[in-house]
Amino acid sequence: MKVKVVKKILEANDRIAENNRKALRDKGVFCINLMSAPGAGKTTLLSRTITALKGRFRFGVIEGDIQGTHDAEVISALGVPVIQINTEGACHLDANMISDMLPEMPLDDLDVLVIENVGNLVCPAEFDVGENAKVMLLSLSEGDDKPLKYPLMFQKSEALIVNKMDLLPHLDVDIEKIRGDVKALNPELRLFEVSCRKGDGLDPWYTWLSERIKR
Amino acid sequence: MHELSIAMNILEIVTQTCREQGYQRVDSVSVRIGRASGVMTEALNFAFECARSGTVADQARIVIEEVPVGGHCRDCGKGFQVDEAFVFACPLCGGTAFQITSGHELELAELEVDDEG
Repeated sequence: MKVKVVKKILEANDRIAENNRKALRDKGVFCINLMSAPGAGKTTLLSRTITALKGRFRFGVIEGDIQGTHDAEVISALGVPVIQINTEGACHLDANMISDMLPEMPLDDLDVLVIENVGNLVCPAEFDVGENAKVMLLSLSEGDDKPLKYPLMFQKSEALIVNKMDLLPHLDVDIEKIRGDVKALNPELRLFEVSCRKGDGLDPWYTWLSERIKR
Repeated sequence: MHELSIAMNILEIVTQTCREQGYQRVDSVSVRIGRASGVMTEALNFAFECARSGTVADQARIVIEEVPVGGHCRDCGKGFQVDEAFVFACPLCGGTAFQITSGHELELAELEVDDEG
């Protein structure tokens, strides 16, 4: 016997994500899902951003990694609440993992929750965790072919930060190709070209983020 | 790699449906997967075979219908469908003012069940 069961496969995840979003909204917390390949500079960007904006917004961070607590220690040193999730092999965070962690976060004392996803250019794009904005990083050294090879994350993000711009003279990378390809993939995507190591080009990102948080 | 998560989500919905409706065995599970959804059908096949054991669907086949990417162009006013996973311009008129209307599906469609119990 054939039975019609028309359901979204990620319905359970999406439902939990919606609950997370509501729980955060009730506390007045804006949530960012920060995604990139491993080593693109998520933690460095986050350190810079928290340091620059902590006078205006109270940050909290959930760190997703397959293993280890390195990133959480870096963020914790900035004096903001941080929780480390070790996925023990899973390639992305899902809504359920975040839902388990929310009670551990002092949400009453936060304005912004940043979820630093597992370093991976593919899977995190697929899973809503309850964020208000998806933000992604691409480091220049990953190559100018990445937007067309891994389009989904570029299409689902609101902002793209191209990091390691200080390496441009040393790399065989066509920045014009990156600019053109991401615009074709996602005309709405906000593009920021920065060097998190040197601290260059970050002011427009801080301005955009501050306005996005308040919206 | 997230195909395993997708397979486990499918099996969760299947298990719950069978529990609610009293189905004892599932012979096949049909899903619709958009070409632009980021899911590889071969990987999903493999993940499903790994994840199904011990569930009500442990003998079930997964039947995957791939949904092509399609859209509607505001420049020429026509609908289109393409073989690629991504569209950069309307294949009919070259315009860029188009909306994607299909290709992102991740849906369970149908179960074939043994209802003899």
